[in-house]
Amino acid sequence: MINFEEELKKFHPSLEIEEATDAIYNQDMTDMADLLVNLIREGKSADHPQESL
Amino acid sequence: MLCYNCGASLTEHDFCTNCGAEVGVYKKIMSSANLFYNEGLDRAGVRDLTGAITALRQCLKMNKNHVDARNLLGLVYFEMGEYVAALSEWVISKNLRPNKNIADDYLNMMQSNPSRLDTISQTIKKYNQALSYCYQGSYDLAIIQLKKVVSLNPKHVQGRQLLALLYLNNEQWEDARKELERCRKIDVNNTITLRYLKEADAVLDIEEDFSTPTKKKSITDTITYRRGNDTIIQPLNGKENKLPSTIINIVMGIIIGIAVACLLVLPARISAAGEESDAKIKEIGEQLDEKNSTINSLEQEKNSLTAKVEKLDNELATYTGEGGTISSMDNLLNAVMAYLSDPEDTSTVAGYLDLIDEGFVDTSTETFREVYYMIRTRIGGTVGSTYFEEGMHAYQNEQYDEAIENLSKAYAYDNTNVDALYNLANAYRKSGDNVNAIANYQTLVDNYPDTELATRAQSFLNELVVE
Repeated sequence: MINFEEELKKFHPSLEIEEATDAIYNQDMTDMADLLVNLIREGKSADHPQESL
Repeated sequence: MLCYNCGASLTEHDFCTNCGAEVGVYKKIMSSANLFYNEGLDRAGVRDLTGAITALRQCLKMNKNHVDARNLLGLVYFEMGEYVAALSEWVISKNLRPNKNIADDYLNMMQSNPSRLDTISQTIKKYNQALSYCYQGSYDLAIIQLKKVVSLNPKHVQGRQLLALLYLNNEQWEDARKELERCRKIDVNNTITLRYLKEADAVLDIEEDFSTPTKKKSITDTITYRRGNDTIIQPLNGKENKLPSTIINIVMGIIIGIAVACLLVLPARISAAGEESDAKIKEIGEQLDEKNSTINSLEQEKNSLTAKVEKLDNELATYTGEGGTISSMDNLLNAVMAYLSDPEDTSTVAGYLDLIDEGFVDTSTETFREVYYMIRTRIGGTVGSTYFEEGMHAYQNEQYDEAIENLSKAYAYDNTNVDALYNLANAYRKSGDNVNAIANYQTLVDNYPDTELATRAQSFLNELVVE
């Protein structure tokens, strides 16, 4: 049996056209490739720490 | 595929041949992204839009620069009525690849039609308003708003799902199922749609099981559902056996139409045509009357003109005809001329005077009469004697007509010639013209009463009167 109140909570207001710009700017664009590259770079920096002068 | 470190093209090796960077895992991630894209494409192809969205989002999580996946995701959102999400994907795609990008066309399509953009905006506002009504518990108002939403955008899946949920809450199972079926046509594998549909079907199946056989039959024939306060009965298999009934209906319609035309339209048309023809006949009659009156007036005018012409002809004849004014004037002038030329030539003068009608002399001018009588008096004695002699000669030869003519002239020129009058009366008597004989005898008796000839005339007069 469907719980109406619970089902209703699953519906969210749609973004209006005026809010599209914000939605685009706020979108999280990080992908797995970014994460991988960051991991690799962080790994490299850990293996070769910058020598202090 | 390019190296994330230096941007060089990667080979089959797990390292970049240009910079030596490790690219084994990176290449697997890119391959997985492509796999998800392919899956998304397949699902979109069979209208599994929810599945396509999931796959394409996975793809973009692997590779945010996958332009094709982003464009397809925008298209799927657009198809489901998620316009802002679609626009977002296309704008990002356009930024990632400014040239030769199909997202450019999609964005132009959206922006080039302001009315469409306005409709989209209205749809979103109404949907949000409906959702707000739901949160407030105003479900009837929410249903009204959602009906507007789905009429503005029939592919708004979320709107239809919410509407179906409200119908389910109101126990309007058929309405809910109808909306959900439409949702399923747009997005075949949407889990929310399928779950709600299962709920509605379950309730409707139970209702069918508990219905009476008669009711069951009616249910198989019709679908009864409520929309607001109205109960709508819709035939289920209306399309079956529709052709014969349609033909029968058409035939019945034609027959009824003809009957109506015969009963209502035709008499009116006939009456109108009759009135029109009556009006025409009346008009023609009026024209005929007018022309008849014109003809009558013209005939009257013609008659009056004919009479006038005849009168004028007569008048002209009195001037130009024999015995007319001109002729009489000519004769008188000729007589005067002849008399002035030779006063002794009385016969010529008398010839001209004889041509003048006595009646005309009486009606002519005074001057004419004076001249006429003057000439006549001057030649009267001589001419009268001549005519008397000729008349007596004829009388003696029993040529009474000639005698009458000459004796008449003799008496006319000389009215003192009693012998001429007496013999004229005798000539009439002997020629059998008793009337003129009596008239002349009577003249003699009246004008010369104490003469012998008067006594004789009286005796003849008595004899003739007795006869």
